[in-house]
Amino acid sequence: MGRTQAKTMSSMSSPLGVKSLLVFTVLMLAWLAGFLSRLFAVIRFESIIHEFDPWFNYRATAHMVKNGFYNFLNWFDERAWYPLGRIVGGTVYPGLMVTSGSIHYILNLLNIPVHIRDICVFLAPIFSGLTAIATYLLTKEIWSAGAGLFAACFIAVVPGYISRSVAGSYDNEGIAIFALMFTYFLWVKSVKTGSLFWSSMASLSYFYMVSAWGGYVYIINLIPLHVFALLLMGRFSHRLYTAYTTFYILGLICSMQIPFVGFQPIRTSEHMAAAGVFALLNAVAVLKYLQSVMTRAEFRHFFLVAAGTAAGAVFLAVVGLTWMGIVAPWSGRFYSLWDTGYAKIHIPIIASVSEHQPTTWFSFFFDLHILVATFPVGLWYCIKNINDERVFIVLFAVSAVYFAGVMVRLMLTLTPVVCVLGGIAFSRLFEVYLKEEEQSRPQSGDSSDDDEDGEKNNKYDKAGKLRKMKHEQQSSNDGLGVNIRSMVIVAVLMILMMFSVHCTWVTSNAYSSPSIVLASYSQDGRQILDDFREAYYWLAQNTDTDARVMSWWDYGYQIAGMANRTTLVDNNTWNNSHIALVGKAMSSNETAAYDIMTALDVDYVLVIFGGVIGYSGDDINKFLWMVRIAEGEHPKDIKESDYFTDRGEFRVDAQGSSTLLNCLMYKLSYYRFGELKLDFRTPHGFDRTRNTVIGNKDFKLTYLEEAYTTEHWLVRVYRVKKPDEFNRPRIPVSQRKVKRRNVYLTKKTSKRRRGSIKNRPVVVKGHRPKTKLT
Amino acid sequence: MSVPRGVLLLLLVLLFGFTLVNCKKELTLSERVQQLSDAGLKKPVLRFNGDKFRQYVKGTPRNYSMIVMHAHDEFQLVANSWRYSQGYSNKLFFALVDFDEGPDVFQQLRLNSAPVFMHFPAKGKPKKVDTLDIQRVGFAAESIARWVAERTDIQAFTFAMTSGQMWNHIRGPPFLQKTQAGNIAYIHGSSQGQFIVETYIVAMLNAAVVLGMILMTEAANKRDDVRKRRIYAIIGLGLVAFFFSLSLSIFRSKAHGYPYSFLLK
Repeated sequence: MGRTQAKTMSSMSSPLGVKSLLVFTVLMLAWLAGFLSRLFAVIRFESIIHEFDPWFNYRATAHMVKNGFYNFLNWFDERAWYPLGRIVGGTVYPGLMVTSGSIHYILNLLNIPVHIRDICVFLAPIFSGLTAIATYLLTKEIWSAGAGLFAACFIAVVPGYISRSVAGSYDNEGIAIFALMFTYFLWVKSVKTGSLFWSSMASLSYFYMVSAWGGYVYIINLIPLHVFALLLMGRFSHRLYTAYTTFYILGLICSMQIPFVGFQPIRTSEHMAAAGVFALLNAVAVLKYLQSVMTRAEFRHFFLVAAGTAAGAVFLAVVGLTWMGIVAPWSGRFYSLWDTGYAKIHIPIIASVSEHQPTTWFSFFFDLHILVATFPVGLWYCIKNINDERVFIVLFAVSAVYFAGVMVRLMLTLTPVVCVLGGIAFSRLFEVYLKEEEQSRPQSGDSSDDDEDGEKNNKYDKAGKLRKMKHEQQSSNDGLGVNIRSMVIVAVLMILMMFSVHCTWVTSNAYSSPSIVLASYSQDGRQILDDFREAYYWLAQNTDTDARVMSWWDYGYQIAGMANRTTLVDNNTWNNSHIALVGKAMSSNETAAYDIMTALDVDYVLVIFGGVIGYSGDDINKFLWMVRIAEGEHPKDIKESDYFTDRGEFRVDAQGSSTLLNCLMYKLSYYRFGELKLDFRTPHGFDRTRNTVIGNKDFKLTYLEEAYTTEHWLVRVYRVKKPDEFNRPRIPVSQRKVKRRNVYLTKKTSKRRRGSIKNRPVVVKGHRPKTKLT
Repeated sequence: MSVPRGVLLLLLVLLFGFTLVNCKKELTLSERVQQLSDAGLKKPVLRFNGDKFRQYVKGTPRNYSMIVMHAHDEFQLVANSWRYSQGYSNKLFFALVDFDEGPDVFQQLRLNSAPVFMHFPAKGKPKKVDTLDIQRVGFAAESIARWVAERTDIQAFTFAMTSGQMWNHIRGPPFLQKTQAGNIAYIHGSSQGQFIVETYIVAMLNAAVVLGMILMTEAANKRDDVRKRRIYAIIGLGLVAFFFSLSLSIFRSKAHGYPYSFLLK
């Protein structure tokens, strides 16, 4: 990919023009490679929005493009969280929507008609190129331009970042990583220069980051940490003071402009570190000033008193404000990063998400390959040759590697720093090995090559070369030898080649599935399973526009985005008790569930069932989380242990617990499944996902009826009956206690229109009752 | 300016102090410790000449560490902080040798330039890393801090994290497992799980690759004996190639259907 080429060239004293052309070319190629490798999903499937959250983002973007920005900010979405609704404008990071909306606007101004969906699909791949450039800039500030080019090429193709930025994955992270790296670059630049310009730019970039992703909290904690570390190391400088005070004040004001963030920067504990460091930095600045006017002994005494008082005051202020409730304590999601057992016990809704799980070494290797083994080398050199900005990258690496270990999802913040440090490691290696090669050339007496170069280049260049030769002669005995050098270079190039092959393989196999359209591969080629869209399309066509669909929260955004129906819960998991109510309905028996469903006005219930095709991400496999979340809010009604066998197993076959076999989720998943024989070898009702025959085969539904089941049974939709539909069951005539006699059939025809009154009192004449005469 | 540094250095010095534990005491030793402590109470930095140096620093056994260097203001500061800190004990002493007073010491240690900082650990001889290279890192309290920081465990932390220790901590997997066939499985068969011993192996593989990379780079970078450097470069290359392909093959055994391998199957 031109990495090494760029390296050799930049170490030669080529003119500035050639050098910048090379840098430009390499960055463009990195952009192109990154963009192209993210297109697998579009080529294999179609230009479609992926997964869950992107559907909401797309829906919100489409709404904004249609109704304008201010209407978007005031948008109250009554189709979500029925009956509560959701104030979208105030509960969303609008950066993503604004970005793609403004691209759409500009393109339309230029008379290029592009559908907003295509912009949304291709936004993340385009931004990956910008991320590569931002990474180049950051690495250039920290180490060298050569390392920067390595880092840019790494970040363009590394799977850890591709996982969040393939075409169609229209999510906040896609643009946020660019904002993160660019903010860090500007911050490092402003620490180095101490100029107001750069630090203002840093806070503007921070503003963009705040508007784009909740992960901005990472920046507002890492930068103060950097400042704090520099203070501890006695590296206070006026550059640092200017940079941080400007950044903090401007950044604070800017970040508060985002409606979703609002007053959080001054009211929550996550942001208090930044404020504390701001106070500390100012205190240090004051002390520095006093030091210049006081004598040494005076100052020492004063320092101890002042530092103690100041630290105590700040600490007490934060504790006091937290205690008084003015400053909110850490949010659960944040807290679970430190106390790793916290989420599992207290917030199952966080623990239930697969991307919030801890990370195995396999995932590290899968997402970073050789970089996971080599980035400590870059870290080593950064620590060895430390300066202000390298302190930053060390802190970045150490904190990010911790977070990535706690949560798979935060691999995303580790990936850029790993690319930076990996770039430094490889660039340093190639620097020393390729430089010697250059020097040894005149030593071996290959002068013709040198003359050729001299003819091509101008005279200044030649002079530079000659000087180098002279330097070489002094240390000519120190060469490692051509063999060893070329062995090392070839071996490392092989490893880098394996890295790029690995990246492509992982991208193609693991991260390029839209997960709305599934594909199965067999001997007859590829089979597309389009059940999700089939079901959502059915809902859109066959139900009332205000029909309320109950499903587990994973599918909320998709139902709203594709079927345009009202949902009860969705992926914006802001209301735990509402989700717990849905979980309770799913885990109760039909009667209890019906009460909940009536209370919530549910018209349709949608479940995902993978037993026919062996799809493992279905609702039965997620079911224990529904139970856990329901138990958290309704501990009297739902108990997790009821859903396990006596031996503590979760099984759906005949030995499964009866509570499980009769709960709503089980029944909706397996309704009429017992009649289905999938294969000649397997019995009726064989579940391919869990590889068992189901335990409860023959049951009828009382309160619901099957409305639609997709081709591969992946999505099943049930209609909730109205009370009059099941309250009056039909009893066979023979069993009826009250039997209707003389069934009246009307004799009216079109000709004879005279009516008659039923049970009209009839006057009977001429009969006198017999009476006994005495 | 110098006071916050002093605080930091104090911590670093404490770090040294804590590394020195459980050594046997002998009579001569206790005497020496007593003398040193008395002297240390009077002056935080002890001044040694050649005889004293041999007696206190080279003499074995020791249960105290000694940091020896040329006189300097900043060094005085570290020693002062140590003397008046809470953690002050007779496990660590600061000493100073002036060339005029003990030229034989300089000869003995084969030093031809001053100032030099040397750490004499309680056990064993000073290693190469125990000498602070002044030429390389400059001369300030923070460079002393850096010297110490290099030896702390940021690297270890990254290896622990990237090998999935956090997963172990949260999930609590078994250390090893016996397969049905009765063999011992060190590596979990699926990509979803891992054993504790497996993460240690992976951490070691990663560390070996890192060591190899550093060896290679340093071999080409230094101006040293050429043969030695060639050997280092080859060892480094071997480490990188072998251990990387080993971890790739372990990865391959866990990811079913992963097509690529390097050197090893």
